[in-house]
Amino acid sequence: MSEVIKKENVEYPYLEKPLSVYTLKNGHSVIFAYKKSPMINISSWTKTGSINENKENNGVSHFVEHLLFKGTTKYSAGVFDKTMERLGGIINAATWKDYTFYYINIPKEHYKIALEMHADMMVDALFPSEEIGPEFDPNGASPKEKRERYVVIEEIRMGEDNNWRKVYKNLNNSMYENHPYKREVIGTKEIIANISQKEIERYYKTFYTPQNITTIVVGEFDEDEMLDLVQKNFIFKDNSNIEKCKTDVFEMEKSIKNPTTTIDYAEVNTGYLMMGALCDSAKNLKETIALDLISTILGDGKSSRLYSELIENSKNPHYYQLESCHYQFKDGDNFLIEANFDADKKDVVIEELKTQLDNLNKINETELEKAKKRAKVNFAQESEMVSDIADAIGYWMSVCEDITLANKYLDTLNEIDCKYLEEIAKKYLSKEKLSISLLLPKGEN
Amino acid sequence: MKHYNNNGINILLEKMPKTPRMSVSFFFKVNKKEKYYGINSLLARLLLQGTKKYSANELALAFENECIDITTKAKQDYIKLSLVFLNEDFNQAMELVKDLILNSTFDDFEKEIFKIKGEIISDLDNPKMKLTDTFVKSIFKEHPYSSTHTKILEDLDKIKKEDIIEAHQELFKTFKSIVVVGDYENDEKMIEFFTTNFDFMKSFETNDEIKDIQNNKTEDEIIKITKNDAQQAQIIQGWLVDSFNSELSAKYALLNNILGSSGLSSRLFVNLRDKQGLAYTVRSQYETLLHGAIFNMYIGTAPINIKKSLEGFKLELEKLAQTPPSEEEMQGAKENIQGRLKYFTQNNSQIAAVDGYNFMMGLGLDYNEKFMEEIRQTSAQDVSEMAKKLLNLPKLIAIIAPQEFLDKI
Repeated sequence: MSEVIKKENVEYPYLEKPLSVYTLKNGHSVIFAYKKSPMINISSWTKTGSINENKENNGVSHFVEHLLFKGTTKYSAGVFDKTMERLGGIINAATWKDYTFYYINIPKEHYKIALEMHADMMVDALFPSEEIGPEFDPNGASPKEKRERYVVIEEIRMGEDNNWRKVYKNLNNSMYENHPYKREVIGTKEIIANISQKEIERYYKTFYTPQNITTIVVGEFDEDEMLDLVQKNFIFKDNSNIEKCKTDVFEMEKSIKNPTTTIDYAEVNTGYLMMGALCDSAKNLKETIALDLISTILGDGKSSRLYSELIENSKNPHYYQLESCHYQFKDGDNFLIEANFDADKKDVVIEELKTQLDNLNKINETELEKAKKRAKVNFAQESEMVSDIADAIGYWMSVCEDITLANKYLDTLNEIDCKYLEEIAKKYLSKEKLSISLLLPKGEN
Repeated sequence: MKHYNNNGINILLEKMPKTPRMSVSFFFKVNKKEKYYGINSLLARLLLQGTKKYSANELALAFENECIDITTKAKQDYIKLSLVFLNEDFNQAMELVKDLILNSTFDDFEKEIFKIKGEIISDLDNPKMKLTDTFVKSIFKEHPYSSTHTKILEDLDKIKKEDIIEAHQELFKTFKSIVVVGDYENDEKMIEFFTTNFDFMKSFETNDEIKDIQNNKTEDEIIKITKNDAQQAQIIQGWLVDSFNSELSAKYALLNNILGSSGLSSRLFVNLRDKQGLAYTVRSQYETLLHGAIFNMYIGTAPINIKKSLEGFKLELEKLAQTPPSEEEMQGAKENIQGRLKYFTQNNSQIAAVDGYNFMMGLGLDYNEKFMEEIRQTSAQDVSEMAKKLLNLPKLIAIIAPQEFLDKI
């Protein structure tokens, strides 16, 4: 049982009480948040995802996420799912570039068994070969034993039928030169079909360490009792002597070295476009907030510039969907514009969107105030449900690696003026700095 | 949640202290078949496209400058306007929504037709959307519930602005309700506010001209949709069944939970995904509407596995029909349904959506408790009987896949 070496109370916007942030002697971070609710949310966030992968094991983070549900010494495969769901729980997990997280939302009276089984899954995953399934040639005959390996391949196949995913895959690949973010989080059929059980275990033992994990509990509960449960159940194995997974040697890429335009074709009736720029790390709070605000002004809602100027007020509209978004990452944010349009108007669309980027050199006070209010309301919105609160805390701990930034967000937001936004737009969003990915109907030029 | 009827206005109130955002919804019952498919969808969209006082742009700015989130939806049985906003913006939100309900001009009619057409064509690029569209319009045939994307697309050019104005007028002659969930001062003030300012929300009891769906299907039907560049085959297999106003509803709900909607431990998930690796997504669904319901199973699988998946669907139903679930499985399913109900009624807008819907469908504000009591009273044998019933009912199967694989079915 690892003792507490540090406890801090950290203020958090819109919550009734400050967060209790514990650091245990083994490095495990534990955060409790109070929220009156019939549900309790228990989650653990591991600071690993495609950022820690290389071209040989791309997709292993996500595969491990699937396999954590496949049994421990104490509970065989399926027992965790069945037990939690038969108590009214909703369970799942997700993998992204910087993190992988596992969660349980369950009526609060079942917190003990939920915490015990969640901890067991995090620290004692066994990766049974019969659950992983045999290695096989994905381009050859279909294997007889189709287990979790094949489930992931079906998930890859499902993504290949998603038009936006195709566009994003090509854009993401073109934006980076060497960084592991370049690769898709889900990996490839070839790697998943062939990755060994040994490599999977090695990855788990390398990255699922107490120093790399934050456990978050949100709801109404006795904190002392919950802390005791966490300490008693999260008994991490000593994997310090294992041969660790090799990761790529890379540097953060804050801008696209060679912006390109990629065109792909499919059986579609409309055109799909994504334009993307690379920016500084999400840890750069002021710049990240500025990009949030620019995204709201440019492409969030019907009063945004993109919607009002190119759809609502256009004499010759050709967009069916048009918005901007800002994804935050540890090694540099992405700023994206997404458009679905009449494919015949591809060239006009690209020019119009570039003009909109040019126009970010002038941002007015009304736009700024609207965007600031939206940013504040988003915080209020994220405080409504136990799962949303946990997800937000998980983001601050895993991507920004600093929970205190959450409470600095609103003060920093107030410091930002139009001039600063214009500078950030110029720094990251000048039209020549963005890559473009297009998906067009087959036969289109 | 409390229901007040003041001067014929149905006001549903739930005070939720210490919540920063309030939710207010306006429900309008739909009880006539649309003259053309898509009229109600177009009306719902046009309500946000300008009033006598504000242009569409000004309206968007007025809402978004204050972060007043508004959505308008035309569903099969009702039209709904939902707002979520910070508590301090209550008066402004209500002033704006009142203006758009009363004073919409529908001047952007042509532009909105263009937009909706484009969005439908774009949506139909998605194979799952295409499959669902085909399935829904085929199972509901000529019933108003068959108002899918493709049917709307066929009718859009027939719709005139006068049709929208007429549909708008119908809103004032129908059954309605206002649902408020949030941190307001007290019920009395809220009732006074709406009685004074929203007298047009007075309800009228009118005959429901939409008939219950009759299941006249006599034999199984398979619809094949070709998509040659699809990586996965997607399959929906379903039946028209009894809805929430039937005593069978709780039994279908439990069958659905055990078969394929409890999450990672449902039978379809464990047996088709975990044990056979046939899919990433496999599930069942029991979708209830006022005049009928659909029970269906869905899978996305490698095209080579279409036959195996259909056999899997059949086998799982047969197993349940032959052997009732254990008491442990039944108890787990009941707990799972209760837990999901709690999970999906956590914030103010979720509570407004669920209670408002129950009220509008005539189920009563205590429906969730009554439904859970019915669930508790349902036996394993009942679930087994429902599985048998489905096996004996003619089914509709829709499949989207490359032609070479469709040819083998």
